[in-house]
Amino acid sequence: MKSFANSNARDLQHAVTLAQQTHQQGHAAAFVGGGSDLLALVKERIVGPDVLVNLKTIKGLDQVKPANDGVNIGGLITLDALSRHDLIRTRYTVLAEAAETVATPQIRNVGTLAGNVCQRPWCWYFRNGFPCYKNGGNTCFSFVGENQFHAIFGGGPSYIVHPSDTAVALLALDAKFRIAGPSGERILPAAEFFALPQQNPARENVLAPDEALAEIQVPVTRMGTRSTYHKIMDREAWTHAVVSAAVVLEMDKQVCRSARVVLGGVAPIPWRLPKVEQMLAGQRINEALAAKAAETALEGAKPLAKNAYKVPLTKGVVRRTLLELAARG
Amino acid sequence: MRQQNAPMPPLKTVGHATPRIDAAERVTGKATYTNDVRLPGMLYARILRSAHPHARIRRIDISKALALPGVKTILTHENCEIVWGAGGISGGQQYNDDIKKITKHRRYVFNNPVRFVGDPVAAVAAVNRHVAEEALRLIQVDYEVLNFVLEPEEALKPDAVKIWPEGNLSLNAQNQAQPATTRRGNVEDGFRASDVVFEDRYTTAFVHNAQMEPRSCIATWEGDKLTLYTPTQGISNCRSDTARDLGIPQEKVQIICQYMGGGFGNKNQNQDADLITAMLSKQAGAPVKLEFTRKDDFIGVHGRWPTVQYYKVGVSRDGVLKAIQLRGYSGMGPYRKNTGAIGGIDLYQCPHIESVIYPVYTNKTVSGNFRGPEYPQGFYGIESMMDDVAYKLKMDPVEFILKNMTRKSRDEVPYTNYSLEECIHRGAEAFEWKKRWRPQPGSDGGPIKRGAGVSFMAFRSALGRSNAVIRLDAKGKYSVFVGVTDIGAGAKTTMAMIAAEALAVPLSKVEVVWGDTDRCPYSVGESGSRTTIQTGYAVIQAADALKRQIAEKGLPTGQNVLVGSASPNPVLDGKVRAAFGAHFVEVEVDTDLGTVRVLKYLAVHDSGRIMNPLAAKSQIKGGAIMGIGMALHEDLIYDRRNGQPLTAGFYGARLMTHRDAPEIEVMFIESDDGYGPYGAKSIGESSKVPAVAAVANAVFNAIGWRMKDLPITRDKILGALA
Repeated sequence: MKSFANSNARDLQHAVTLAQQTHQQGHAAAFVGGGSDLLALVKERIVGPDVLVNLKTIKGLDQVKPANDGVNIGGLITLDALSRHDLIRTRYTVLAEAAETVATPQIRNVGTLAGNVCQRPWCWYFRNGFPCYKNGGNTCFSFVGENQFHAIFGGGPSYIVHPSDTAVALLALDAKFRIAGPSGERILPAAEFFALPQQNPARENVLAPDEALAEIQVPVTRMGTRSTYHKIMDREAWTHAVVSAAVVLEMDKQVCRSARVVLGGVAPIPWRLPKVEQMLAGQRINEALAAKAAETALEGAKPLAKNAYKVPLTKGVVRRTLLELAARG
Repeated sequence: MRQQNAPMPPLKTVGHATPRIDAAERVTGKATYTNDVRLPGMLYARILRSAHPHARIRRIDISKALALPGVKTILTHENCEIVWGAGGISGGQQYNDDIKKITKHRRYVFNNPVRFVGDPVAAVAAVNRHVAEEALRLIQVDYEVLNFVLEPEEALKPDAVKIWPEGNLSLNAQNQAQPATTRRGNVEDGFRASDVVFEDRYTTAFVHNAQMEPRSCIATWEGDKLTLYTPTQGISNCRSDTARDLGIPQEKVQIICQYMGGGFGNKNQNQDADLITAMLSKQAGAPVKLEFTRKDDFIGVHGRWPTVQYYKVGVSRDGVLKAIQLRGYSGMGPYRKNTGAIGGIDLYQCPHIESVIYPVYTNKTVSGNFRGPEYPQGFYGIESMMDDVAYKLKMDPVEFILKNMTRKSRDEVPYTNYSLEECIHRGAEAFEWKKRWRPQPGSDGGPIKRGAGVSFMAFRSALGRSNAVIRLDAKGKYSVFVGVTDIGAGAKTTMAMIAAEALAVPLSKVEVVWGDTDRCPYSVGESGSRTTIQTGYAVIQAADALKRQIAEKGLPTGQNVLVGSASPNPVLDGKVRAAFGAHFVEVEVDTDLGTVRVLKYLAVHDSGRIMNPLAAKSQIKGGAIMGIGMALHEDLIYDRRNGQPLTAGFYGARLMTHRDAPEIEVMFIESDDGYGPYGAKSIGESSKVPAVAAVANAVFNAIGWRMKDLPITRDKILGALA
């Protein structure tokens, strides 16, 4: 791998300053938390930072802190700690479940929430160093190539699928992302954080250079809320979602007061299904409604040559997840 | 000679579950694996590999790389013209002096043109790994990119690019471009005599050996003597290959392999890594360590050859085989490392048989030996085909197998013992076949469907030559010198147990000296599932020789030692020796999601007398799990437009994890046919060979749809059921 220097950040502003200084000297910088994704990219020479700005030296950024209107989660919390946290498990189950499906225990022990949300795609063209949009080129090799695992929604000009499990859950929880950058901090709703390729085919989110995802704010869930994450994998560990669904239901006895349904593995961003959510609101979720929701979920899907199977698969996931969650007491 | 399936008297050491004698060293980190070896002044090496599937190198400029501080030496095809003999062999059989002279399509250590993505272009030795890796990026290669071809059937078309001047059908051992053909009877007569004739096509994917330990090698020269530390399955054949390739006498090459992390067939013979490291060390005048990354290992070594298999099968209405015809294509990559055979037809008794196999060059990664080289893919094809024939005749596949399976080798030569019927009967009963198998495939109501599959196997257990030396000192220590390595099957422990048994001493009195050609005599190497049979037999003979010495001279005293040695080369008297087995699998398929889960797996095996039940069971389980992976998971996907492999590595190839591995039940039917050490037959490879077919047949029984292309992944299942 290419050599690099390590720079420990004292706090968020210091981290941003370190990154800025590196850029001003004409070098490349990268923020690093657990490093499980970044180091793999460095080893494969997909990226070549000269300086790693180490965020792990920032104190207190790995905590779950109850707030008045919900909970604030430091971006440096490990996926393992997040998945085991009592409050997260009980009130924000979908997030805990998503975190514990990531990769392997070793990776969850070092990988962070912010790192998982900002993880680069696992498209085999990108990871094998093809000169694709994600690697600074102007082609998506998957479009007419091997696209078994690629997008059926929101594709073009790049057809990657967003790789993060926790991102899908966070969108379903209506989370907000606190971002530190050169001009101070800004807070974005999750829905505005992720970016479709038509907006910027090289990136998966709106983070500007020298901006870092610092904290995630999850609003309080109302009484009767239950949630779950269902991930389809081609093996039982260490792989990304072929398709996944994060579902949050606010139930009033048997009636669904409101629903949030987000898909993973189908689009370049976590893919929210507003039409399905409207369809579920005020209804009892039964076989017929779940089947109708599944059909609606796939409206507008545009499969590529080799991923048409994702259409019936996603229908199955949506239908089953809705029914299972609604049946949970 | 003992009678067939006669009762076996129990032995003292052999046959008892015994932990490996080196288990503690292995799990405490004390065992020295090849990559743990560090020599003073050692340099580190990296390989630059071709980024193109097929290209001619017009020019290589290494000047910038050589100028990088810390770079000591660089090899390319211009300054290193060594033929890697075992890497490209006419006919794909064993590499030896004669075949070296004959072989026309020679594989060099560095080839020009390069013929697959991963073909070595240059190697750098430098003071550390990072400098070596940086230097690779400074080597400028001017390529003339050539057309390429990836699929064997495409490669045989007249307009396909010729990877070799004689075309893409690999040459046989007589350097003729002919397919490998075997015939018995006349298939056309057989089809005429049939009531029904079925035809179908099956394909299998390239799967990588995916052993834990990636390849590494350390070379050092003292004068004109080369010492190689290398993970090899056969120190003896690695030595003879390396000496032959470098043109130096065998006694000037020492191969050391103490502990290794698996190979499953891709660490047999010598490797280009051995030759590259040896030449870098020679040129640099210092010890050199070469390490492969996981990606180097996936694309730069070899895996199982992918196949296309066309079957035509004729049967009578009551399900008796009349004729089997196979036309097969094996994708060998651009170099012929192994046969490319497709095994399986011999599993059936049938008067008319024809098998025509085309080993074909392609511009994909090289194919070679991997656990039961020609069988898991061939058995998948033929046993899927036969399962389908049984289904179409409305027969229970167990009954069909019992009616048609081999009774004699190639229907004429008797086996030394025969237990296949017992394997199938006892297995079917223990598995509750009648309960789990669905007479109407796919008939379960609802989206989640269960089904059961069966397959069977016979696997070679031939005898052969080997050597062993046992030395007894005055302290009562028995040192067994055997040229084995320990690929993972526990050969060291097995040899110690056999010696203890033969000498009638406790296991604790026996030590094993292994894995070093300067200290150990010839052994065949851990390939072909034959170390126990061959070297184990030599150990018994050496023990007998030692016992005769003791009887003659008494136990040694003081500084004296007694030495017994043996070099047996036993032969079978006109019979064929085989291990037998049958696998029974129940799967559950979620037809909404395309997910396959193995619910129950029973493997019944006759591997003769079991030397160490602990190790033997693990071998069976490991092979079965590998077979499930080949059936349901693994592939090396290429981009067809640019010939690049996309899924090299454990993540990309979707290899099974521990959590994917189901419980494998193992049942041994033990026998002693009077041959081999105490009746031991082959184990290591045998459990993978029927596993793939058994899983695939279970999937058919569950969903009622025959999956004819491996791996049986979610997209294919959902695609079929859509």
